[in-house]
Formats: sequence, C-alpha cells, structure tokens
Amino acid sequence: MAVLELKQVKKTFGTGHKQVEAMKETDFTADRGELIAIIGPSGSGKSTFLTIVGGLLTPSSGTVIINDKNLSNLKEKERSKIRLQEIGFILQASNLIPFLTVEDQLKLLDKVKKENMTKKQLEELYVDLDIGDLRTKYPSDLSGGERQRAAIAKALYSNPSIILADEPTASLDSDRAYEVMALLKRETKNKNTTTIVVTHDIRLVDYCDKVYKMTDGVLVQEK
Amino acid sequence: MFLAINEIKKNKLRFALIIGVLMLVSYLVFFLSGLAAGLENMNRESVDKWKATDIILTEESDKSLYQSSMTIEDVDEIDAEEIAVIGQINAVAGNGDEKTNVSVFGINKDEFIMPDVIEGEVFSGDNEVIASDALKDGGFKVGDELHLSSSEQVLKIVGFTDKARFNASPVLYGDLETFHRVKFGEFAEDNKQSINAIVVRADESSTITKKDSLETIEIETFIRSLPGYTEQNLTLNFMIYFLFAISAVIVAIFLYVLTVQKISMFGIMKAQGISNSYLSRSVIAQTFILAAVGVIIGFVLTLITGAFLPSAVPVSFDLVTMVIYGIVLIAVAILGAVFSVLTIVRIDPLKAIGG
Repeated sequence: MAVLELKQVKKTFGTGHKQVEAMKETDFTADRGELIAIIGPSGSGKSTFLTIVGGLLTPSSGTVIINDKNLSNLKEKERSKIRLQEIGFILQASNLIPFLTVEDQLKLLDKVKKENMTKKQLEELYVDLDIGDLRTKYPSDLSGGERQRAAIAKALYSNPSIILADEPTASLDSDRAYEVMALLKRETKNKNTTTIVVTHDIRLVDYCDKVYKMTDGVLVQEK
Repeated sequence: MFLAINEIKKNKLRFALIIGVLMLVSYLVFFLSGLAAGLENMNRESVDKWKATDIILTEESDKSLYQSSMTIEDVDEIDAEEIAVIGQINAVAGNGDEKTNVSVFGINKDEFIMPDVIEGEVFSGDNEVIASDALKDGGFKVGDELHLSSSEQVLKIVGFTDKARFNASPVLYGDLETFHRVKFGEFAEDNKQSINAIVVRADESSTITKKDSLETIEIETFIRSLPGYTEQNLTLNFMIYFLFAISAVIVAIFLYVLTVQKISMFGIMKAQGISNSYLSRSVIAQTFILAAVGVIIGFVLTLITGAFLPSAVPVSFDLVTMVIYGIVLIAVAILGAVFSVLTIVRIDPLKAIGG
C-alpha cells in the first residue's frame, strides 16, 4: 500500500499574465522502504513538490494522501499534527534548535508528542547514527556531518512514515555527503520508512531506489 | 517550559540582562510604593491610631482642623457612642540643640484618643506632654524642655508614644489646659472652652449632629482633605502605574527582538509540526520565569535597602501591597509577551525554511 500518493496535483502562483505554473499536473506514489530522489536544477519545482508533500503548501488542485489521510481537506492545525506524527524533515540548513543539546532535541519531540521512545529504541538510534558521544553537545559544537547525522536522528525519531530531505548534503564535502546518503538508505530500509530526497547533486542518485527528474514543473521518473 | 528553561540555560547573559532590567523596574516600583506608604503614614498615622469614625469640624473651616474653632459646649450637640475633644496648633519646638515642626494636640486623657505611652509616663502636670517617637529618633528625650516658636510656654516631654505624626509633623499630646496656654498665652483662661474639633466613634454619621454650624466628616474624607495629601498620593501612584506600563513595554520590546531573531527557528519547528500553542506557551512560560525572578530579586533588594535606610527617610513597606504590585508586574510582563506570541502565530513555516 502506498504511504504517499499525489493525484493530479498542480500548483500555480500569481494570477493573470503573472501566473506561474510551478508544478504541472503530477501523479506520484511512494511505498514503504523506498528511498526516492527528486533531482533537477534550481527553480525547477523540486522545493514546491517537497513542501506540498510536507503539507506546508496547499496545492492549487489535486489531492495529497498520506496514509489514507487527504491533506488537501485539512486545516493548518490538522496538517501540523500530521507533520508531527507522520513526517520527519531534514533541511539544508540544519533543523536543529541552537539552544538544545542533541539529546534535548529528541526530548523536545517527546514533550510535544506526549509519547516517549523506549530507552532501548533511543540507544539504538544513537548507535545507528553514531551520535552517542554527541548527546550532550549543542549544534554549534558539531561539525557539518555531525549536525546532519543529528538532524537525521531527529527526523527518524519516533518512526515517521515519511522522511523529507531538502538538499541534505548541500553543506557537506563529497565523503560526508556519501556517508549521509548511505545512512539515509540504511535507516530507510531498517525502519521501513519512505525517504524522499530533493537534490541537485546527481552523484547521490546511486543510493536511491527511484529517481525522478523535475524540469520546469514536470516530474518524470528516470529510474 | 522545556524550551523556555533550556534557552535561558544556554543564553544566560542575554536573559540575565532582561532579568536585570525587570529587577530594576520592580525595585523602583517597590521602593516608590514604600515611599508612598511612608509619606501617607506621615500625614495620617496619628488619626488612624484614634480608630475614630468621624470628626466634627465647624462648617466654615473647609475640613481643616487648624481652621476649625468651637467650644466644649458643642459636645452637648453630639450624639455618638464615644466622644473626644481636641485642640490643635502647629509650632516649631526646640530643646536647645534640635528644632522641629510639631503639631500640639490638646486632649482629655480619659477620652478614647489618648495614646498609649511606650516610654516614660502619661502627662499629669502643667505643660507636660507626651511626644511622638519621631522626636526621639530626632534626638529628643524624656525630660527635655521644649521652647515653642509661637508661645512663651515651655513644655516638658514626660513620655513617648508611637505612630503619632499628623500632616507630616510629630505630635505633642498634652491636656487641654496646656494647649490653651500654648495657643492663647495670657488669655488662656478666657478661652478655656475653646477646642478645634470633636472626634467620635459612631455607627451612623448622619445623626451625629444637627447643629448647622457643625459638619460631620468621615475620617477618610478628613485625611484626604489634609493639605497636599491627595496630590502627593496621586503623584506617586501615577509614577507607579506608569512604571507598570513601562515594564510591559520593556518586556514587549526585549521579547519581540528575541522572537524576530528566532523567526527561522520557530518556522522550522512549525514545519516539523510543533503547534503554535506549544510555542506560545513556551514564550509565556519564559516571560513568567524572567519576570518572577526579576520581581523576587527586586523584592529582596528593596527589603535589604529598607533595613539600612535612616529613619528620616519616610518609607514603609507593606508586604501585601508589595506582593500585589509584584503580581501586577508579572502580569504586565506577560501582557508584553503577547506581541511575541502574535508574531509566532503569523510565522509562515514555508518562508522560514526558505521554500
């Protein structure tokens, strides 16, 4: 069963002669355990796709379904709840809160969700992502790679259905970028989640199960 | 609370500055309230000590004790549970070393306005008085002879009483004969029926007197009519209320600047599904912590300062008033945080994460 389904989703900005079709009518599905790359140049509509899937942007037409819930029909408060429960975000600029230690970044999610991960699950996450030694450190004390590993831990915390990663390797050198992609692939399979990576770096597509290319708002599957 | 406390722990200096500002504002508010209460007491404490309900003055005196003049026979026109007569004159008293303004009260010592003596003894002979302990603090002592500016009479302090100031002057209590000698000198005998007012304890003000030339005035109204009393209180209270408003603005500005600096961070948290209400509660909790710490430090500092102030400084700290003002300060600080809450609610997570 598809975790994520887009049916005839379209997004336009502006009106009249200033109207821009950022994403043309698109159908898309993603299943559990898949690592999917959306590649394309800047301004091609990748980020529009990602923000629509993440429930941050409402499509002009069409439906976005996450685990049988139609996002298009929901109010912002309900979409916010789905983002919290079903989606993990990894952003180009780290999604870490500067005044929280790595450990507290995860604790915050416990507080907000009002549910705690077991100690064993938490330890596994620290080991999987190799961030056990970083738990008392603040984001400003971490290197770029460490920051992204902590961000991935935060996105994976409490097992969301979908991970959305926006240029997760943009601030990393090649070795670190491959390391992060390998990590994303491993965690996608281990946790049977769906990960969608938006990137313009085509070297990363080898790690992905499916690759889509976005050109001028048109999404075409390449792999 | 989790976000609020962790942010304060990480950015100690930044939040210490905000606490410092709130502490100074609350220190000023507490101190002004103490000053207001102290100045208030200077005017009214002797009257409060009577525990009277009303005072009867002549109608033409315009509620002024000093300007009112009547005779002891007027007591026959009064219907009240307890009655006391009083004569009053202002003077400057000196013992050779010290000089001070005083208010001389002539009373009958068997009537209810007779004060307790905390040191020395009750007046019994000619020209003997018991004095306010404010004079004691000013260097006067039992046995001192007081020369008055407006009289040839020499008064002798035989005892002290506490809380005995009227219209900012220490009070000297003596019998009516002493008062007559001070006020009328060689004509005292001719004016031995003269008094300024009648003080009463009564259940019903309207039936105390029916004599047209006399006016029954409730004690609180009488105090408010003392020269400068209302103006002084209004001025100090206005300063306190302005400080409340200023503290709300200060907190609003500080928190707004902090919030604007964190728009991107709040946007990311909102994108992650953290609700507006959670983030708003966090800002309110943070404001509460900062304001409460600032107010508590200000409170303690005020009490410490009060303990070291010389008695000449008219401050009187009323704990209940201070607690109420402290709560108001915290409340207005939280009100100031509402601007930040509105800013957070308006943050578009899409823009914040650069979508």
